[in-house]
Amino acid sequence: MLRSESHAMGEGGGGGEYSVLALLAVVFAVTFELRFARTGLFRSRAYWISMGIVFCFQVLVDGWLTKLSAPIVLYASDEISGLRFPWDIPVEDYLFGFALTTLAIANWIRCSK
Amino acid sequence: MDKLQYLGLLGGCLVCTVPLEFVYGFRVWRSPARLVRALGPVICFFVLWDLFGIHRRNWWFNDAYVTGIELPGSIPIEEIAFFIVIPAAAISGYEAVRASLGKSRDG
Repeated sequence: MLRSESHAMGEGGGGGEYSVLALLAVVFAVTFELRFARTGLFRSRAYWISMGIVFCFQVLVDGWLTKLSAPIVLYASDEISGLRFPWDIPVEDYLFGFALTTLAIANWIRCSK
Repeated sequence: MDKLQYLGLLGGCLVCTVPLEFVYGFRVWRSPARLVRALGPVICFFVLWDLFGIHRRNWWFNDAYVTGIELPGSIPIEEIAFFIVIPAAAISGYEAVRASLGKSRDG
């Protein structure tokens, strides 16, 4: 049984709390790398190629998670921009995915001792 | 079986990425202490972020496709699994790319 189905199926408008949270996560991840971990990740070819691969996999995995025909994860329409691409993936998910994977890789390199 | 869909999706990610370290020779899952040290803070950060979003009703989960097992704060165990599997998969992918590019261990 879906909760607040009508709430989820509406259109976003201009962004909301999830949009802000996703941006904050990106700011945190970038700041973590540049100020704390300092692994040189953003100058690394391997990192950017990996991010490209992560993006491709995210489209598949997140596409399945968020497909509106049978969503596993649902978003409050007021709290997202409403932009979904490709398929039904909220664009905020790419910011969140970038932050999650960048933090993980940066901290992995930092923990090499 | 539908209730295992989210976990199944994460299992699929593991199936795709765990073998990489046996193909390329790096050690991610086989360096569990380092993986725990690396992922610990990341998991903590995103679990808190997720709890906030769930509490604020920014997002929620379809009862049909999750097990219904939740930790305090109404966070599905699938989300905990997500914050372990996805970062580990990204790290494995990164190490595989590095190995493909011929980088040395500390390169």
